[in-house]
Amino acid sequence: MTTLDARPTIAAEAPDNYLTFKRGIMSWLVTLDHKRIGVMYLAAVLVSFFVGGVMALLVRTKLLFPGEVSWMTAEQYNKAFTLHGAIMVFLVIIPSIPAALGNFVLPIMLGAKDVAFPRLNLFSFYLWILGAICAVWSLVAGGFDTGWTFYTPYSTTSQAGGIIPVLVGVFILGFSSIFTGVNFIVTIHKLRPPGMTWFRMPLFLWALYATAVIQVLATPVLGITVALLVIERAFNIGIFDPSMGGDPVLFQHFFWFYSHPAVYIMILPGMGIISEIISVHSHRHIFGFRFIAFSSIAIAIFSFLVWGHHMFTSGQSALMNVLFSAITFSVAIPSAVKVFNWLATLYKGSISLNTPMLYGLAFIFLFTIGGLTGIPLAVLSTDIHLHDTYFVVAHFHYVMMGSALIAMIGGLHHWWPKMFGVMYSEFWGKIACTLVFVGFNLTFFTQFMMGSQGMPRRYYSYDQLEGMAETFRIYHHLSTGGSYIMGLGFVITGIYLVHSLFAGKKAPANPWGGASLEWQCTSPPPHDNFSKTPRVGDCYDFSAVRWDEKQQGYVVDAEVHASSASSGKGH
Amino acid sequence: MTVLHSITSILSQADSGMGASAGDPTSIKSDDFWMPVGASNFAAEVDWVFHFINYINYFFFVLVVGIMVYFVWKYRQKGREVYARGPNHNLPLELGWTILPTIIVVVIFFFGFKGYVSMRTVPADAYQIDVTAQQWSWQFKYPNGATSPDLYVPAGKPVKLVMRSNDVLHSLYIPDFRVKQDVVPGRYTTMWFQADAATGEDKFHRLYCTEYCGKDHSRMNQKVFVLGEVQFNDWVTKQGRWLEELAAKNPNDLDILWKVGGPRLYARCASCHTIDGTPGTGPSWGNYDGSGNVWERIQAKAVHKVDGGKPIQDFIGEGKQYATPEAYLRASILNPGEHVVDGYGNVMPTFKGQLRDSEVDVLIDMMKNLKDKDTGAPNFDAKGKFIGKMETAAGSK
Repeated sequence: MTTLDARPTIAAEAPDNYLTFKRGIMSWLVTLDHKRIGVMYLAAVLVSFFVGGVMALLVRTKLLFPGEVSWMTAEQYNKAFTLHGAIMVFLVIIPSIPAALGNFVLPIMLGAKDVAFPRLNLFSFYLWILGAICAVWSLVAGGFDTGWTFYTPYSTTSQAGGIIPVLVGVFILGFSSIFTGVNFIVTIHKLRPPGMTWFRMPLFLWALYATAVIQVLATPVLGITVALLVIERAFNIGIFDPSMGGDPVLFQHFFWFYSHPAVYIMILPGMGIISEIISVHSHRHIFGFRFIAFSSIAIAIFSFLVWGHHMFTSGQSALMNVLFSAITFSVAIPSAVKVFNWLATLYKGSISLNTPMLYGLAFIFLFTIGGLTGIPLAVLSTDIHLHDTYFVVAHFHYVMMGSALIAMIGGLHHWWPKMFGVMYSEFWGKIACTLVFVGFNLTFFTQFMMGSQGMPRRYYSYDQLEGMAETFRIYHHLSTGGSYIMGLGFVITGIYLVHSLFAGKKAPANPWGGASLEWQCTSPPPHDNFSKTPRVGDCYDFSAVRWDEKQQGYVVDAEVHASSASSGKGH
Repeated sequence: MTVLHSITSILSQADSGMGASAGDPTSIKSDDFWMPVGASNFAAEVDWVFHFINYINYFFFVLVVGIMVYFVWKYRQKGREVYARGPNHNLPLELGWTILPTIIVVVIFFFGFKGYVSMRTVPADAYQIDVTAQQWSWQFKYPNGATSPDLYVPAGKPVKLVMRSNDVLHSLYIPDFRVKQDVVPGRYTTMWFQADAATGEDKFHRLYCTEYCGKDHSRMNQKVFVLGEVQFNDWVTKQGRWLEELAAKNPNDLDILWKVGGPRLYARCASCHTIDGTPGTGPSWGNYDGSGNVWERIQAKAVHKVDGGKPIQDFIGEGKQYATPEAYLRASILNPGEHVVDGYGNVMPTFKGQLRDSEVDVLIDMMKNLKDKDTGAPNFDAKGKFIGKMETAAGSK
């Protein structure tokens, strides 16, 4: 093995790829290339994930001790859990899949050169940066301790100094999300290549489309809500202040009208990634394409109708509670059926257990638990007992982290060779995935029991009443132990991914055997993706895919592939 | 597992938790894996629905994960083969796995709906208790005017709580009763339950605030005692007149009011004001900066500064805002925002309407008698319990 073979430089072999096309920091800062923008988002989101994760570990470490501790006051704890939630929701999970992976993959999957509005894309990125700067400003100003949900009147009267800065940041981040959504909708409508009808479009793009619709319709409501909160704090107009005729519960309606659809912004793209991963790594056509595609749209629509299920104990009328509970199940059914479709895709597949597939399987396991535990929360009589306990915390971590975030990391591993032209260590990938999976379940499954036994959320201490510490201590200890294991898994992931950038094996164009268009350009892709608009086949038809020993990757016989599209049955 | 146990026991020895001393009531412990004991009329049905959902969930979880694991093993890739052949559609299957879950969730929804309707239908003859929530304590007020920081309820009768908040959102949650309702400022919210099994005063159900309300959200827990009819009536009568009864029983030694009555009232102050000098949300009644306890601090010169450096003595005295130190102490309880001690925030809620004048007098007397007059020894331990001499010279105050 010569040194040339051993050292995989990105520039050495490929004459031109998007990473080498232009060099220098300015070529990145003012780039219009969707791939570079996606990579910048990725770095930013991963840094935020690290900060939010440290906050979580602080919270969990405090909870090893039931009573007061000298090294963390109640106020500091309250700020830590608030920051954890705000960072993870607004800076990480909502933008991560669409902005980091979607930006990179979407145009290439369409065979296009870029998104419809590249300048708007760059502007969206800088809005994210500005929002993050506001978050840092809020920390300097004293932090905020309102919970990421900012319920009034505590959020309008709290003395914490960082509340208005972070609300300004959330407002700005909202526009980053809206503009990305607009961009994706137009791109998918207008830049599909000839032959790619809606029903020939990969499911990841259906998912991004449905997500974009929610982003555009729901996020303005968040903008108005945080603007009202800023105005209330600054000028005391009284909209949420009962002594002036206002209603504190009105805030909850405004807030959840966005934030419930927001959780579908988080999960829908993740489900799209899982459709890709399961299909590609089983080397098998996805089962039930139309249903999965329609279910993404259905979930997007129904997501706007169920916000009140966060408010069953808020003083909302009994009639509203009944309606919201009933409609909530309408969102649950399409999600469940997607799971069955993915299982059916495994049937008679040819399954390779690489790291992306492990994340895909972990998703199915964790999303099943997350979805099923939503049922006692949607059911009125049980939710009265479970609301505002750790049961809810466990449920949403299973769907937001165990599902959406796991899907994002799975997608990152699935498209990493394409994005950077290198392969990471499969060995360490599997180890880290296992640590994350085991650690995650230990952290959060214990919280279901803790919650149903009555442990309330957002508690700094749990020793005020006799017997509390004895009841809950063991769950907290197990949960904290799990969080350290999970943290170790993420650290290892970061290490081997960064290591692969410097010393990873060179990646072929199609390491996994995918049939969608992104696998038909080089790894990494050239600056303008495709020199000619590629011919579109059935992106889930693997009949034209075979392993090429010389390339150490799969190849798609384009002629065979394209003919399968025109002659074969549509989806 | 033994490693886990040793770590757990080391950590529990490091606890700074508030343990119960002998004679203090103990909470009723759960005997089930998922749920606490069921102690109200709602518990049986809520638990039934919860476990029904759980069994359905176990079934589907095992089904999904089992199939997943089986397929991953059975259809593993052999070599580098690709293009596995399998069906892309199956209409009967797809319809089946859509319709069956829909039927199941509709059924479950109805169970929940039924249980919920009964939670919202308050019986007309329910015994009403008024609840005031404020940062960071609860007060329960009974029809005869009696008030209590802990919730006492009669056994075997429906009880209705009419609740209000003085500041931000709170939420009253009693897990053993399976009930919860947010408490909203500017409104009254209601909830009801019926507890049939009496706990007596040795055992209690736990009551939590469960809507995040700021710094001491996790210190807003109280006890729920269920008393049989005779015992309850007895308690509520005595509670309404507890201070008068205490005085009536000890006509020759009215010091009993601050010795026994003081600690009882102090329990509501304790979450922010410690007695032994330990720092807290509010200034400790004890000696926290070397200048003595609260009574001593407001006598001496140049200590106990308020409003950015002004000594409180500027406001106390003939012709000044407060004629006597007692008047200042009374104002600091009923109008706490007027002068804020330096180094502390303006966060104390007013207790106007929640303490009678006689109760305020008792608190002031307690602050005046933190130390024994003869020996200087502390009269109260760190939890506010009286540890001084019970018998004093007749009639002295």
